[in-house]
Amino acid sequence: MTPFEPKIVGFLCNWCSYAGADKAGTAQIAYPPNLRIIRVMCTGRVDPQFVLSAYREGADGVIILACHPGDCHYKEQNYRAIQRHRLLLRLLAPFGIGEARCRLDFVSAAEGETFARVVTGMVEELKTMGPIGLQA
Amino acid sequence: MRIGVYFCNCGPNISEKIDSAAVREAVAQVEGFGYFRTVDFLCSSTGTEEMEADISAEKPDRVVVAACSVRDHEETFRDVLSRAGINPFLMQMVNIREHIAWVTADPLQATAKAIAQIRAAMKRVVLHESLVRQELDVNTGVLVVGSGPAGLKAALTLAEAGRKVVLVEKEPMIGGMPVRYEEMFPNIECGPCMLEPVMGDLLHGPFAENVEILNLSEVEGVVGYHGNFTATIRKRARRVSADLCIACGMCIEACPAKGPNPYNCGMNEKKAIDFPFRGVLPNLPYIDAAACVRTTKGEDCTACRDACLVEGAVLLDEAEEVVTRDIGAIILATGGALYDCSRLPNLGHGVVPDVLDALEFERMLAASGPTEGVLRTASGKIPERIAIVHCVGSLDHRHMNYCSGVCCEVAFKFNHLIAHKLEGATVTHFYRTICVAGKEEFKLYEEAKSRGTTRFLQYEDLSELSVSGGGEGKGISISSARGGGNALDRYDMVVLCPAIVPSDGTRKMLSLLELASDRFGFAAELHGRMDSAKGNVRGVFLAGTCQAPMDVQKAVNQALAATGLALSGLVPGRKMVVEPVTAEVDAERCSGCRSCILVCPYKAIVFDAEKDAAVINPVLCMGCGTCVAACPSGAIKGIHFTNEEILAEIAEVLA
Repeated sequence: MTPFEPKIVGFLCNWCSYAGADKAGTAQIAYPPNLRIIRVMCTGRVDPQFVLSAYREGADGVIILACHPGDCHYKEQNYRAIQRHRLLLRLLAPFGIGEARCRLDFVSAAEGETFARVVTGMVEELKTMGPIGLQA
Repeated sequence: MRIGVYFCNCGPNISEKIDSAAVREAVAQVEGFGYFRTVDFLCSSTGTEEMEADISAEKPDRVVVAACSVRDHEETFRDVLSRAGINPFLMQMVNIREHIAWVTADPLQATAKAIAQIRAAMKRVVLHESLVRQELDVNTGVLVVGSGPAGLKAALTLAEAGRKVVLVEKEPMIGGMPVRYEEMFPNIECGPCMLEPVMGDLLHGPFAENVEILNLSEVEGVVGYHGNFTATIRKRARRVSADLCIACGMCIEACPAKGPNPYNCGMNEKKAIDFPFRGVLPNLPYIDAAACVRTTKGEDCTACRDACLVEGAVLLDEAEEVVTRDIGAIILATGGALYDCSRLPNLGHGVVPDVLDALEFERMLAASGPTEGVLRTASGKIPERIAIVHCVGSLDHRHMNYCSGVCCEVAFKFNHLIAHKLEGATVTHFYRTICVAGKEEFKLYEEAKSRGTTRFLQYEDLSELSVSGGGEGKGISISSARGGGNALDRYDMVVLCPAIVPSDGTRKMLSLLELASDRFGFAAELHGRMDSAKGNVRGVFLAGTCQAPMDVQKAVNQALAATGLALSGLVPGRKMVVEPVTAEVDAERCSGCRSCILVCPYKAIVFDAEKDAAVINPVLCMGCGTCVAACPSGAIKGIHFTNEEILAEIAEVLA
């Protein structure tokens, strides 16, 4: 039997975390290929329905990667993302989707290693948790 | 619908990890697939020429480029599309190099991931719309707020470049804080003399006509955006005509009313009509409403006007005025202030006589100050023992947890000036740590150390010191809790060197412009290292102590950096391009809840009562999309990042 490979959708803001992923690339820091990247201009754009849609389409996990608090390219919209993430967690909890499957983290444009570490960590954690097990 | 897919090998960078043949086979199954091209170096001149010719021949409806980061080459490929006669926004890039090839160990897995992301881009790109970059005329004039060294130098440089400048200053004079300092570190140069040539040029130089100086004025509102700002400025009445007054001073002698002189920290009085201090520029008196009996007592006093030699120079009934000015950029040079020493009550400022802060001591040293440059205590005694306390409020987590960087210099300058004014007087420095970085800055410290009359006492924490006593011939004692409450010595005068903090004017302008501030209240730079002269609002640039504590040299350097940015951002004849990636409201679906207005960081959204819907100004909108996510009615469309586009991508990356 092939080992379980979780599918993760990552919403990356154009300015910090997408650039952080670029940095991991230029530094050639390998990480598992389970992440699928959706670029948005700002994590403030991440509509909760995108996250719900990702689970519906078969994601085992979703990660929203924002600029560090205070570093948002659009002043403070990453705080909106943080607020929405908190609400999402409350919404998802009754469905058995906990924080490990719906993460929000911060990666700056300089943090290639952090990017690889965050992604690797999430993949490892989801591997031990197994598939999400939602009914289609 | 016909999608052309361009796959860049990037030499071996991508081709070693991702099998383009396998990708081709997998993406050919996607509806709308037109053709697939593999190119060795798509961004090279050969690559882009080939791509342009190919697109011109193939005439695809949409293009997907699988290559590197959008941050590297999205613009490159958008240009190729434009040249080939296709709207540049009908393209989607997939970063298969940084995000896949360079970070995935296994080529099979890398290829599978590339296929998923490229297929998702194809599903997305069919939903793309043709977008047009709007071009706007710009105003190349600049508003400079604050007329300290930074504001003066910025205004003059802009004027020399032929730009119209509006220089707004809340005080009746220009020059900021250093015109009040008789001597400046590191070279003991006279502050007013240093600024005089710049001020003279602004007032009377060959480019003076480009500069409008508004004294006694404050910016009250700013609307618009980079290239097209309108500022509302409140001009308080000087009540003295700048055109007619000959600065003879007859009015001052005639004036019956007096009040504390704010330019000497209230240490002496001045007449209600008076110069802020001697040698001030512009060389004009002003009527201080807080002292004039016409305002304080409602008396019909006309003594100054009666004494005036020039008909019409005193304008007793001049009213304040609100004016507007159109400009394209704003340079903030609103400066800093000294930390309020009364927040360290153990140091006795304001309670113990002859405990002065650095600014009060500067004025006492100045020939135009309250004692005409003579150092003396409140009771008239010539001080023999002076204490200087460093780091008052700085380097302290209970106050301002940073080093202001200039206060030690100021302290050693004081040491130098005391030695020259009072032969034999002793100076004791109470210091925590000494900071005198710079190529010229060390010498005043060296000089202080080499003097037999100078003593250094290190304290660990300012709270261990207690300043008491003073008054009528009695000495001030400074005792140290750490030394078991021992009195360390007695002094005739104590000078406190406080931290530099943001001025009230800075705080006010930050809030008015909705500019980000750092945790200390200074203007936050767009990037701490690479963009420290830019604020986080486009078209607003930072100069001097509004951004951080700094000396005159740094403030002026930063002002020139801000000037360069203002000049290069708004070039006469060049239009400003407005990105089309914004948001728009479908008025039919808008419920009028105004959630979008609350979340918009750029005030780009207003509620249109007539339409009964929110309306987004595409010029102010920066395209972050937060309002789109916040709208409970789904009435806002995030252009180029629509729900449909993003949902299509999500579905396909997981397929």
